[in-house]
Order: sequence, then C-alpha cells, then structure tokens
Amino acid sequence: MNWMIVLPVLLVLAGLRFVKPSMLGWAAAWWIAVWIIMDFGFAVPVPKSVVKEFLGIVTLALAAYVSSDPQRWAEVRDPMVAFLTERRHLPLLGLVAVAIPAAVAASIYLEMTAPAQAPTFGRTVHPAPPATLTVHDVTHDMQTLDNPLRSLETSDPEAFAAHLEEGRRIYYENCFYCHGDLMQGAGMFAHALNPIPTNFQDSGTIAMLQESFLFWRVAKGGPGLPEEGGPWMSAMPAWEQFLSEEEMWEVILFLYEFTEQRPRALHAASGGEGH
Amino acid sequence: MRGRRVRRLRSPGLASWVLCVGLIASSPLLGQVDLGTDEQRATGKVVYDKYCSQCHGDTGAGDGYAAPYLRPKPRDFTSGKYKIRSTPNGMLPTDDDIRRVIEVGIPYTAMPGFPELSPAEVTGLVYYLKTFSSDFEDPEAYLPALTTPPAPPFSADNVENAKRVYEEIGCARCHGTSGRGDGSSAPTLVDDWGDPIRAADLSRPWTFRGGASREDIYRSISTGLNGTPMAGFEEGLSPEERWQIVDFIQSLAGDSMSDPGYASLVTARAVEGGIDLERGAELFEGAEPALLPVLGQIVQPGRSFHPGVVAVEIQAVYDREDVAFRVSWHDIQANRNGTNGPDLVVEEMSAEAGSEDEGSFWGDEEAAEDEGGFWGDEAEDESDDAGGDFWGDDAAGEDDGGGFWDDTEESADGGSDGDLAEFSDAIALQFPRSLPAGIRQPYFLNGDSQNPVELWFVDLGYPEAPEVWEGRGSQALVPSDEDAPFVAASYEDGRWSVLFKRSRRNGQGIAFDEGTFVPLALSVWDGFNDERGSKRGVTAWYPVYVPPMESPSPFPKMAKTAAIVLLVELLIIAWVRRRHRPSAAEEAPA
Repeated sequence: MNWMIVLPVLLVLAGLRFVKPSMLGWAAAWWIAVWIIMDFGFAVPVPKSVVKEFLGIVTLALAAYVSSDPQRWAEVRDPMVAFLTERRHLPLLGLVAVAIPAAVAASIYLEMTAPAQAPTFGRTVHPAPPATLTVHDVTHDMQTLDNPLRSLETSDPEAFAAHLEEGRRIYYENCFYCHGDLMQGAGMFAHALNPIPTNFQDSGTIAMLQESFLFWRVAKGGPGLPEEGGPWMSAMPAWEQFLSEEEMWEVILFLYEFTEQRPRALHAASGGEGH
Repeated sequence: MRGRRVRRLRSPGLASWVLCVGLIASSPLLGQVDLGTDEQRATGKVVYDKYCSQCHGDTGAGDGYAAPYLRPKPRDFTSGKYKIRSTPNGMLPTDDDIRRVIEVGIPYTAMPGFPELSPAEVTGLVYYLKTFSSDFEDPEAYLPALTTPPAPPFSADNVENAKRVYEEIGCARCHGTSGRGDGSSAPTLVDDWGDPIRAADLSRPWTFRGGASREDIYRSISTGLNGTPMAGFEEGLSPEERWQIVDFIQSLAGDSMSDPGYASLVTARAVEGGIDLERGAELFEGAEPALLPVLGQIVQPGRSFHPGVVAVEIQAVYDREDVAFRVSWHDIQANRNGTNGPDLVVEEMSAEAGSEDEGSFWGDEEAAEDEGGFWGDEAEDESDDAGGDFWGDDAAGEDDGGGFWDDTEESADGGSDGDLAEFSDAIALQFPRSLPAGIRQPYFLNGDSQNPVELWFVDLGYPEAPEVWEGRGSQALVPSDEDAPFVAASYEDGRWSVLFKRSRRNGQGIAFDEGTFVPLALSVWDGFNDERGSKRGVTAWYPVYVPPMESPSPFPKMAKTAAIVLLVELLIIAWVRRRHRPSAAEEAPA
C-alpha cells in the first residue's frame, strides 16, 4: 500500500461526511477516490485492465445507488439537466463537449504509440494440489499425507534436532541461492528470476499450508504445476530428481523452524476453512 | 596459520604505516582494543549460529555447508582479513566497517544484508566475529580509519586525465583498458587463500563488493581490498587523482552506478536494406538493447554456482525475411581453444569432493604462506616507494599466481577431470519449438518432455559451425539437422559480440511472426571458468516482441472515435433539452 496517497484520499472521504456535498458531488468524489487508490495507491501497480473493470463495477454500483431512491435521483439529475439546458452554462458546456472527444482521441493516440510491454501473467498463490502424489514410485494420498518426521518433535527431540540439522544442510546446499539466507526469496540469483522465489517469511505462504503441500511443490517444482495454477515460468526444479523423500521432509522441517512458523494442521483442511 | 598472521602484523611495513597514517589522521582511538562484554558476545553467538555459520562455519573458518559452492568463498574470520574497510590496506577493519557489511551485505556475492537484526544484535555479532581472530586482541594491529571526504560532483573533464593515470599506475593490467575486468593479468589473479579471483568489471559498479556510490568507490581505491590483489592507493594517488578515477569509472558505467536497469522485454526493430551480418553492430543501431541478468545453472548435476558471466545484452532486428540477434557480454578473456557443447557431461561436485579440494589446498600450506607473505611484503613496498616501483613487484606475484592457478584449475571440478581439458566460450539462444498456445512455457533449462525447445548453439572455438539442438529436458538434448542460423562472432576489449541470423520461418522451428511475443532464454558458457554442458550461466525466459512491420497510423481511429463520441454527446444534449424545455418542464408530470 502506498500510504502517502491512500491516507489523504481516505481523509478526504471522511471529510465529506462533514461537508455534506450534493449527491452528484458525493458520487463523483467516490468514483475519483476509488480510481486514485486503484491506480496509484498500491506499491505493486494494478494492471490497467483490472482498474478499468473495477471502475466499471463502481460506476454501476454508484448508478444503482443514486437511482434507487427518487429523492437521491432528483439530486443527481437536476444539476446535470441544468448544466445541459440553461443558457448561462452554454460556454462551459461547449468546452466540455469538445474536451471529452479530444481526451478520448488522445488516449487512443497514447495507447497505439506506447512502447510494447512484456505480457503479464497472474500468479496463483496456492494452486490446488492433486488428489494423489507419486514420488519415487510411491503413491501418496494428499488428504492424509503428513511429514513422517514431525512426530519426533515430541517423541524424540534428539532425533528431531538431527533431522533439522540435515534440513539446514540441504537448504544451504540447494535452496538459499534463490530463496535466500533469510528465506525471504531474495537469494543471490533471485534478481534473475521471474516470478521471484517464494518468501517463506511471509505469513501468507508456508504458515497457511500443510506440509504435504510443500512436499508436493518441492518434489514436482515448476514443471509439476497444474494447468490452472501458475506461474508457468517458475524456475523451481523438481527436487525429486535430486533429493530423497526423507531429505525433502527434512528441509521442510527446517523451513518452519527457521521462520518460526507452524504448518497448518492436517485436520484443518478436512474440518473446514474457518479459523 | 598463526605464524603467518604474526609475521604480517609485525612486518617492518607496519612501522611506516603507523608513521604515515598517524600523520594523516591521528586519533585517540589508536591502539584501543574493544572486544565487548561476555553478554554481547553471547548475543552475537546466537545470531551467528542462526544466520552465519551455514556459510562461514561454526568456528568462523569459512567452511560452512555452502562454502564449497561459493566463489568468492565465505570469509575466513580466523584470518582477520576483511575486504571492505575504511582502514589502510592490510589493517584490521573498524567495528563500523564490519557493522556496515552485516547490514548492507556484499553485492553479487552470497553475502546478503541483514537489515532485520537489531542494533544490539549487530553489535554482539561484531564482537563475536572478532573472537575468531586473535589479531583483534593486539593493540598494535589497529589503525584509525582513513577519512573519505564528501564526493565532488562528476566532471567529464576529469575523464581524460584519469584514463592516463589509470593506464600509468597499472589499473588496466587487471581491470582492462575499458574496465571490463579483462586485463592481461586478470586470468592469473588469486586471493590470499590461493583461490582464483576476478578483477572487478569497472563498467558495472553495481557489482562492486564495497558499494557503488562515489564515496564507496573512493574508499575502495584508497584502502584496497584485504586478502585480494587489489591494493590501496591512499599513498600512490592524491585525493584529486582518486576522485578523477571515480569519475572515469562513472563514465564507463553509463546511466546509473547502482542500478543495472535489467530489461523485462526485448523489442525487435524493423530494418531496411536486407539483414547482412557483415554490417556488424551497425546493423543493430536503433534496436533497444536489453540487459538480462544471468544466474548459475544450479539444478542439473554439474551445477554452476558462480557463473563467469554476470549479464548479457541482447538486441534484435528483423525484416520481411529474416530475424537477427546480437548478444554481447563481458568476458575475462576469449577462450577459442578447446571445445564446448550443450550436452557435455559434468560430474556433480559433491560437498565431500569440495572439501577435499579445500584439504589439498590447505595441505599446500607452503604455497599459501608464500602468498600471504607476498602481499604482506607488498604493502611494505608500497609504503616505502610511495607506489613507484610497486607494479614491478606485482609482476613477480603474477608468476607466483600462475602456478597457483593451475592447481586450482585441476581441483576446481572435484578432481573429476584432472586432465586439464580446455573449454571454449559458447553461447546458445533458446526458444520454444513452437509458440506456446497457452501460458505454459517449457521449463527454462532445456525444456521438458511435453514442451520442447530449440537451441541455437555456437561454440566460439568454431563460430563458423553453429548448430541447432532440440531439448526435451536436460537429459534429452539431441542435435537437429535443421538449417543452422548464420553466425558472426567477435571479441574485442573484454566483450564478446555474437550475431545470429535466421529466416523468420524455418521448417519445424520457432516462427517470428509480426505482433507476437516469442519467449527467449540464453545459456552462456565461460570457458575460462571451465564451463561446459550443464555447468553454465542461464537466463530466465524473456519475451521478444516482433512489432508489425507497418504499424497503422493512429489518426484515422482517433478521428473516427472522437466523431462518434461527439455525436453521442450532441444527441444526449438534444434529447435532454427537448425533454426539459423550460415550458415543458413545468407541465411534465413528476
């Protein structure tokens, strides 16, 4: 969020409550506010097509709101009618009547002469995993698959620590070049990748997922993504070619340990989303 | 080990250092040892064990899990040699120097910045790092920092004179005439541990280990980089001359010192008069150059963790018949001897093999000592002769380094091929076999079983014989008998420039149709770095846009749309006026 832009806009909207503008002014203010926030308010720019679509919805919603009540409708209609019909507005009306086609023509010019942009692809944050997963000729049911080493955390802390240390070794021999020392997706090669490597410190990544999901992503990598789940340019290797099952589970243990996060519990998936 | 350290610190050079530096910047801190409290060092140990030991090792010896794969190697803290410092060459860093590196990291190495650490954690870590080397206990080993004055603004007038100084004092011998890290001595350079080290590419300041600001560069010139062949020029050059060199470097860098300006798109340019590679770079004038970052191929066995090429620049042109690409990159030297191929087998360097390497290196303690001694002596020479005779000595160092380098070559691949095979430089453009119908693209390393790719491969030892390969994964690369593209290659002043030309449509191969985005990925092999087969630098996929030859004029569409909008406006106004005529409005029902 670009708070330097969003906060003033929100303040102006809050201020409208005290100024009590006409219904037309109010609708225009909201429309402009939504446009500014959508177009300039986000740190990562929102694609123009999404902005357009969203503003279309906002236009319809505002139209529905002001026309749903005769009094509100009159408040909106009357000033517009006055502008279009009264003689004293004629010079301004003429100006507006010319300005709108001119603006449309200008935007067409800019659009047609703009330098080409790289096509953008959406990123499915957590694509749906398959029902079953076959790794090293063993088929697992994704519904019930869990980290076989996780139970050692309570039953045999010493063995658990040894597995964690193995996971640490594997991470720093294989993963940190892209995912980074701090697991923020900012390794020494990250600048050369698109999409960028996943940031495990983000509370929206591994903390939201079960360990079986990570196992699937580690084992199958970018080439194993389903058709409907991008990013399709992912450089993530299919680590099953190079790591044993145990090594993959170990590195998953280490991801959670280092970031001080907990995997989403197995029952949470079957027991519903709400928590 | 310890003997070497002591020798360096007690070398006669030290006295003259103290003398001259004391004159420039005398400080009451001189000789004050500050090793922190037990509590601070304990805090530092916790941080170190979590964030640092995986590379720098539990005992600070630079031998953590990742160490065998990294070059430059993780710092060996037991040596007391810190590259990035504000103190004179060969001296210990200040606490603030260590703090700075922890906070901002070292660009284009595996050392990240750790801005998340609290000031107390960083302070603790600084004290803990100092426990690894007894040098820090020696009050005589401390010298105050050299001051860096505020940077004067860039002046193009200085560049001419700076270039003369740059040649005169021998910068070009390592960094190259145009600063591309391709000087005649560059291939022989080794660090104090005997590992090969590259002279910085001065035309790419964003890769500078010590930072890319004018002040950073001035500091690196003044203090040198400990443990490397980069000497300090605090004595050899006046402050004015050092700022002139900074100006020279800035003139090489172009637009930005700190931002490489990596591209996300390659836009081809339509050209007239036929595409003839004889025209060379001139053919590509006006085509927007796209700089693409290179990463090591770190997936397939034979992984390349420190590719020799940092970035490639690509331009594209086309006409009705043909499409052509110009790929250029900075290379320490042109390797035309030997051979290369995309399918050459490289054995995976195992961590064990890596550490064995280390072992044999350290086993060669004699040589390492010589090297250490050499640079220690060097500092002495420099201070005595005020930089006069200095490069004469360096030549001796090169001979020394030469022998070293051979050793390194042998062991660089885990001893798997000690036959000193030579590999030439090579480049490959990779395209999908056909334009992807959806948004799924072939896996960026030689494609995958469902989504094949084609490689336009040139072994720069044999630029007259380019090849086309088809890839369905790294284990499924086969030569194709299709017509190969035409290729022209040249190497000049530290830069390869390779031109490719092919018909826009070519049998089964990828077509370059107007209005399409064709995915492109590159592989680049640095023969000097022993790269071949899967051991190489690669890029991710980037789209190449082929605009329509004749882009339609926007004016008819503008006029048409504006007219329609105006008409609709007038109709609305007329309709509203009709309905709301003042007289009619009164009569109309609500």
